[in-house]
Amino acid sequence: MKIVRFGDSALLVNFEQKIDEAINNQVLSLYKQLQEHKEVTFLIPAYCSLTVGFSENTSFKTLSKQIEELNSKIQSKNLELNSKIIHIPVCYEAPYALDINEVSEKTGLTQQEIIDTHCQETYKVYMLGFVAGFAYLGSLPEQLFCPRKAEPRKEVLAGSVGLAGLQTGIYPANAPGGWQIIGRTPIPTFNPKTENPTLLKAGDAVKFKSISSSEFEEIEKQVSSNTFNLEEYYG
Amino acid sequence: MARLHFLKPGLQTTIQDLGRQGVQDLGIPINGAMDKASAQLANQLVGNNANSPVLEITLLGPKIQFEGPCQIAITGADLSAEINGNTIPLFRTINIEHGDVLSFGKPLIGCRAYLAINGKWDIQSWLGSFSASATNTAQTTPDSIIVKDQILEIIRGKDQPIITISESERPSLSIETPIKVYPGPEFEAFSAVEKQSFFGDRFTIGQDSNRMGYRLNEALNGYTKKEEVISSGVIPGTIQITNSGQPIVLMADAQTTGGYPRIANVSSTELDRLAHFKPGDTVRFELISFK
Repeated sequence: MKIVRFGDSALLVNFEQKIDEAINNQVLSLYKQLQEHKEVTFLIPAYCSLTVGFSENTSFKTLSKQIEELNSKIQSKNLELNSKIIHIPVCYEAPYALDINEVSEKTGLTQQEIIDTHCQETYKVYMLGFVAGFAYLGSLPEQLFCPRKAEPRKEVLAGSVGLAGLQTGIYPANAPGGWQIIGRTPIPTFNPKTENPTLLKAGDAVKFKSISSSEFEEIEKQVSSNTFNLEEYYG
Repeated sequence: MARLHFLKPGLQTTIQDLGRQGVQDLGIPINGAMDKASAQLANQLVGNNANSPVLEITLLGPKIQFEGPCQIAITGADLSAEINGNTIPLFRTINIEHGDVLSFGKPLIGCRAYLAINGKWDIQSWLGSFSASATNTAQTTPDSIIVKDQILEIIRGKDQPIITISESERPSLSIETPIKVYPGPEFEAFSAVEKQSFFGDRFTIGQDSNRMGYRLNEALNGYTKKEEVISSGVIPGTIQITNSGQPIVLMADAQTTGGYPRIANVSSTELDRLAHFKPGDTVRFELISFK
């Protein structure tokens, strides 16, 4: 772990620069420890780094020392983060699976194999970023590795589920993007009207479930009439 | 109650405070006034808390009819503010009478002016801030981007004595003095030639610059493509170098993470001054070390 200055009111904690679950667990453990620190103004956990904003009432030196102490305690503790699995329904059919043919060509998998492989794995939310509520999920099974689209789309619709390298993710809102879109979820992953506006947070565990287009439409109706309950849906 | 009727919205008039701190872990940008020092001074002049909402007015200002008396103050850029056609002073508490019309003319100095109004604004906040949110604006901060014929209601506060902030206490809006920056996390990934170009050359603020970031037109001299950084945090003031070698300076509405190498970070006070550079202006950077 290395702490560097990041402007005059933030610092950056860099762990080994690698996308790796164990390293990300260290980031998230430190992130959780610092949430209650009264001089910390904001935190940005990422794959293998943590950005820490701090107030004028502390200094880089003081805070770095505290972070080093916290981190040495974390090292000796079990790094398992408690997280329940969040199941997300996805329809992998037309018109939602815009790039499933391209992914099929690039990976050599049939459409059904893509769906089965995408649904079999439990993913970890490594970080949020890019746009509000966008969760970077990993890692995809190697056989689903697929590069981003050569030309990014000007607009990808909210709910779209995409692949990029060994990452998968859900667009929380309409946004430009180059991820390969293989399906769409009818459930909102970003709801600004609630106190916790994002469905997913760093450290959560996620599993996708394949649904038909009629199920998609049914859930979409329930969502728009505010009668959809994710927990009830899965019992 | 005082009411502001926007007869004209201006080029880009938004409601801002000091921003949305503490939700960056959800991927939500900080937002807030581009020139925070001027926003705070405006509030101070009308007796509001430093983090109260203000109107951020960009280059071409709105035309506002006041219904009911109130107190206002304008700080930041000089955009030729007038009340009923008469020039009014900046950085000073001003009493407004019922029916007065505030308008703006030619931008003279700077890019963004801040209008504070004494009292409590009847607007919606989201995640602890009144600032115009870049995401789902209609749901989160519906009144924050001013449109024609919008009405803004203010529950008037206690009248304040008239105060003027003297010339020497006003923030500098100079676009000539170089912008002071600290070395960024990937500073050492750049060659001596690239660093020399970054600190020696003038960069033009691109036309597609906005509150998210300033794109600079010129690439670093002798730029060679760098290894991508694994997505990591970025903050307002972070200067990234894109794959084409062109710097981007992230501003108040910046996204929370990025993958380009971070060559430098603009100092917080200098970021306020940078808010007054407009497309076509040129900027130079000066390296300062951490105390």
